[in-house]
Amino acid sequence: MPLVEVSGLTKVFRVPEREAGMRAATRSLFRRQWREVRAVDGISFAIEPGEVVGFLGPNGAGKTTTLKMLSGLLYPTGGELRVLGHVPSGREREYLRRMTLVMGNRNQLQWDLPALDSFELNRAIYRLPRDDFARTRDELIDLLDIGDLVRKPVRQLSLGERMKVEVVGSLLHLPQVLFLDEPTIGLDVTMQKRIRAFVADYNARYGATVLLTSHYMADVEALCRRVIVIHHGQLLFDGALAALTHRFAPQKTIEAVLADGETIRLSVPKEEASAATARLLAEHEVLDLTVEEPPIEDVIERVFASGAPA
Amino acid sequence: MSATGAAAGRLERREGRVRSLADYYATTMRTTIQRNFQYRAATYGYTIGMVAEPTIYLVVWSTIARGEGGSIGGLDPGHFAAYYIVWTLVRIMNITFTPYGWEWRIREGQLSGWLLKPIHPIHYDIAWFAGQKLPWLVMYVPIGVGLSLAFHPVFHTSPLSVVVFLVAIWGAYLVRSIGLWLLGMCTFWTTRGSAIFETYLLAELLLSGRLLPLQLMPHWSQTLAAVLPFKWTFYFPIEALIGGYSTGTLLRGLGFQLLWIAAGALTVKVFWRVSVRHYSAVGN
Amino acid sequence: MNTLRLAFVFLRLGALNELQYRANFFVAAFQALLSVGVGIVVLLLVYSHTTSLNGWSESELLVVLGVQLLLGGIVTTAIQPNMQQLTDDVQQGKLDFLLTKPEDAQMLVSLRVVQIWQSVDVLSGAIVVAVGAARVGAGLGVVQALAFVGLLLLGAFLLYCFWLILATGSFWIIDMWFLANLWDGVFQTGRWPIGIYPGWLRYSMTYLIPIGFAVTVPAQALTGRLQWSTVGLAVGFAVVLGAFTRWFWRFGLRRYAGASA
Repeated sequence: MPLVEVSGLTKVFRVPEREAGMRAATRSLFRRQWREVRAVDGISFAIEPGEVVGFLGPNGAGKTTTLKMLSGLLYPTGGELRVLGHVPSGREREYLRRMTLVMGNRNQLQWDLPALDSFELNRAIYRLPRDDFARTRDELIDLLDIGDLVRKPVRQLSLGERMKVEVVGSLLHLPQVLFLDEPTIGLDVTMQKRIRAFVADYNARYGATVLLTSHYMADVEALCRRVIVIHHGQLLFDGALAALTHRFAPQKTIEAVLADGETIRLSVPKEEASAATARLLAEHEVLDLTVEEPPIEDVIERVFASGAPA
Repeated sequence: MSATGAAAGRLERREGRVRSLADYYATTMRTTIQRNFQYRAATYGYTIGMVAEPTIYLVVWSTIARGEGGSIGGLDPGHFAAYYIVWTLVRIMNITFTPYGWEWRIREGQLSGWLLKPIHPIHYDIAWFAGQKLPWLVMYVPIGVGLSLAFHPVFHTSPLSVVVFLVAIWGAYLVRSIGLWLLGMCTFWTTRGSAIFETYLLAELLLSGRLLPLQLMPHWSQTLAAVLPFKWTFYFPIEALIGGYSTGTLLRGLGFQLLWIAAGALTVKVFWRVSVRHYSAVGN
Repeated sequence: MNTLRLAFVFLRLGALNELQYRANFFVAAFQALLSVGVGIVVLLLVYSHTTSLNGWSESELLVVLGVQLLLGGIVTTAIQPNMQQLTDDVQQGKLDFLLTKPEDAQMLVSLRVVQIWQSVDVLSGAIVVAVGAARVGAGLGVVQALAFVGLLLLGAFLLYCFWLILATGSFWIIDMWFLANLWDGVFQTGRWPIGIYPGWLRYSMTYLIPIGFAVTVPAQALTGRLQWSTVGLAVGFAVVLGAFTRWFWRFGLRRYAGASA
């Protein structure tokens, strides 16, 4: 039984349209012109419990909108959507207790007080029995190694430290579904790795389902075995990351430095890569040879550029 | 996996509804008290600005009373002093979450977070400001003493009126909190929330007893004040303590507060659902 | 004079900046309307119970109200935004940029921000003053009008000094954001003749927070109550306060520059 069932999900925004300038501004006081924006246009997919799925797409693709609909913040214009058997936009208490939404760069903890105090508040909000809460809290603090951070006022923490305590705060009620919106945005490389490792640990330990959006390929590569690519509100690809590479960039790059100083770069289909390499080595004197997969970023760009649904 | 099993076990255990709500209020109030101690200097500065208002009214009306032969409308400077000194206490009690705070909350993106918590955000706001009352009241004591020494209030108080007063100030807090929460929800619908709020403040100034005891207002506004909730946020608690009311009047007043709280709560419930629906169409 | 030229440059910049936000004009206009409305309603209420407050008639107090609104407008347009900016900059360590400019730091700090839309309050205050003065009918001649304008500017100067002294305090005490709250409440005392306040309050409001000089004295010019001794006292006080403000500012600045070095 899939945890998340999405079918024909659509979200249309009506945006007021206005040109610059005095006259247009005055006119807009009397007659508003509206434009329809199809942020999400008929997306369908299903996610099983325990999966870690990455939503990839350029800015404005519709992935954050999709995530907001999945979490219940936005209600869809069309289509069907169920998470944990609930309709998210109904925001039933039972649903809200089983999920959590973490948005990069947004604080939900008390600014002036140590994180531990905010954790207490969350304990009361989610009605967690004290001993269970204490155990979970200590486990999570240990997992992210923030023991000394939780006693300092949140405003005194750096951006990365703040993200860590925010994440712990949002997991105290042991949600079964995690929605992470750009969780590593603005963080340095070490911190990004730390957060990724933590999410993977949490998924392994508690069997939670994780849906995350990111435009850092590294996030997706590290965490997600399954990727959903969204562009212009439409689903371009849904499947394993490896399959993505295979479908959209089924080539390898061979770079060879020859004895006469020339450098050759060849792009060959994957199946023929070894044969091509062998021929190259046989027919020329090669000083240095590299065989590479195309960078994932290029693959993704290619996917976006193609724009055609999978 | 044992950890998942243990976690699943933890997932199922929840505390009961009423007990957890009380627990939530207690926790929130404790949190805000802690926070208040951090910002002592700012609170003092704010308090001085706040005390200026009733002091001005006090001086103006006492001066008029003295100029008109000792009293106006049956109220002498002693009564005015008592009125405005108790006013300061009531004012501290009815400070609450304003539409300005709503605008900030939406702008900072914190409202979305609240929509996804399994508790109605109004509980947080009410508990938060309720907790603040305690450190503020501690600060009020020297101010109250100072004002009393400077202006010589005259009280007509009985034990029952003290008890009713202690209940009425919390009633006033709830009436005003719920009312301002309703106004705050207008920020879901318009960006001109501050204009609506300032109009409200004008009405409150004139109809709640904030400006002067309602007996001295023109008759038509007294009639108006009787059917609106403003009077129960300032005038009733103050006069309950100092006005020498009869038992019947005191209890009837509490009843009216309860009525307005219930009406307000019901309106919040209905309006909230509609407003969130509207907000969820666009979101932040 | 260079200061004047600088002032106009900043004014133009501030105006251009704010003119983009037409909505703010309506907000400011609405607020000004409410302020005037509240003020007049309160006056009407007061005078429904009496005919004279401390010797002042209704029309005379209308003039006082107008002056208070006008000065309040000057404060929120030109003085308060600058002082708020100053305290913010000190708190965030951004003052250094200013100190490397070739202009006098005090001038820069006092002129760079203008909230153009708040000047609606100045306009509404002026209208109230005009209406009140007409009703008082104290025989307005050129002398009175000039005295009024001069004393008004003097009053604005006094308020500026007061604000700058407070803002300079931020060099020592970092957290001064409660200033705005404090000001709003205390400035309301200016709507009423200072004679009604008990002694200690009266002295504080005249010398400590110069509201008495700033508001009541210009009003006296239009209501025929002005005495030359008061004018002399006001001018003298302005000179002393101005000098002290300048000294205090430079003292604070030296300390700041020393501290951040």
